[in-house]
Amino acid sequence: MIDLKQIRKSFGRHEVLKGIDLTVEKGEVVAILGPSGSGKTTLLRCINYLERPGSGQIRIGDCEVECGQPSKKDIHRLRGRSAMVFQQYHLFRHKTALQNVMEGLVIVRKTPKEEARRISAELLEKVGLGAKLDAYPSQLSGGQQQRVGIARALALNPDVILFDEPTSALDPELVGEVLAVIRKIAREGITMIIVTHEMAFAQDVASRIVFMDDGAVVEEGTAAEFFRSPREERTRQFLKRMTPEGVYNI
Amino acid sequence: MKLDPAFIAEAFVKLLAAIPTTLEITFVSIGCGLILGIVTALARIYRVPVLRELSSAYVTFIRGTPMLTHLLIVMFGLPIAIDALSEALGISFRSVQVPMIGFAYVAFSITAGAYMSEVVRSGLLAVSRGQIEAAYAVGMTTWQALRRIVFPQAFAAALPNLSNSTIGMLHGSTLAFTASVVEINAKAQIVASTNWKFFESYIAAALIFWGLTIVIERLTALLEKRVARYDKGGVA
Repeated sequence: MIDLKQIRKSFGRHEVLKGIDLTVEKGEVVAILGPSGSGKTTLLRCINYLERPGSGQIRIGDCEVECGQPSKKDIHRLRGRSAMVFQQYHLFRHKTALQNVMEGLVIVRKTPKEEARRISAELLEKVGLGAKLDAYPSQLSGGQQQRVGIARALALNPDVILFDEPTSALDPELVGEVLAVIRKIAREGITMIIVTHEMAFAQDVASRIVFMDDGAVVEEGTAAEFFRSPREERTRQFLKRMTPEGVYNI
Repeated sequence: MKLDPAFIAEAFVKLLAAIPTTLEITFVSIGCGLILGIVTALARIYRVPVLRELSSAYVTFIRGTPMLTHLLIVMFGLPIAIDALSEALGISFRSVQVPMIGFAYVAFSITAGAYMSEVVRSGLLAVSRGQIEAAYAVGMTTWQALRRIVFPQAFAAALPNLSNSTIGMLHGSTLAFTASVVEINAKAQIVASTNWKFFESYIAAALIFWGLTIVIERLTALLEKRVARYDKGGVA
């Protein structure tokens, strides 16, 4: 379904991604974990070309792009295969919740307006915002905005949804509602790649964990393997820091 | 010398006839200036080679010289260019056939464009990077993203500046007098030339300009109200 080969990316002289290989099967939920600065967000952003990889190959479904010098058309085709949920939501500020979800359908997919409206209202209903169709982002809480963001991604019916730390900007009491929605759509068999710091959530929802450090994949495996018996020393150190005992053990 | 209030009223009524000319100059220059401003601002923000340098040079030169100078240069320079071109192409058209107001349109559009470039740039910079990224992420092309997502928000952010520039061009349009265009100020001079009551006549002109400015302010306020529906910005 998704195939990344030898993705490399540098910011100036600093190499952020040092040749990443990653394969994701249809219906899989992959969580990418790792310390900050490890390149996980950059990798995710490379998949829909919000970040331009220096070299490598990206394939989503039957759309294959050779990085380096891709044409505008290639990038556009690749972006059509995925959707993204952002850390800072990035809802279109001048559009209502309903318009936010409709926008991609009407403008990009050329869905007739009435049908787009129906689909969008259904999706907002699904993420628990059936009563907020006409609210502007500024009138919604962070959790509600992020749920609109998820509905916007779902509307495009993409091959894969990319989640970039979807709960990192939220107040702690709002994290739960967003995770519940992601969990719900994960069960429907939608392919997802999630960059997150929520360990318990990753353990619960992900079928596979990819652990990155310093621009490379250090370890990957099923959630059970990863959390119970990590193979690499760096993984063990990371997990120790992320578990509550680590916090209190000063 | 005594003030003649009755003549203020009389001049006021006579000056109303010149309002269309003033508004034409203002809106042609603001309209063309806005297009010029959008092109040059985009060229600078997206660092388009060559166009970017040309745009920067244009903005600094025009903002660095008086509006009256632009009018004079266009008035004396453009006819030479037009006649040379017509001759080269073997067309019978000559610069004397161009109405004087045409030179004002051209000159003031060039003036407004430089100021608009900064207005547009400030608006575009006020839109966060995340907005266009989100537009790309839903599959939009750059043009779709600009048109559907960035421009409406940039317009809202630039509105106070846009209104400011429009008022500036409204008042600046009085310079068209130099090109023998009878706008409000020129009309005031003509109206008073029969009885030498210039003071009364200019007071009437001032009142008309103030009235037109209030209209622009009100229109801006209405637009701002629409914008405030989604964006309650500011410190108040």
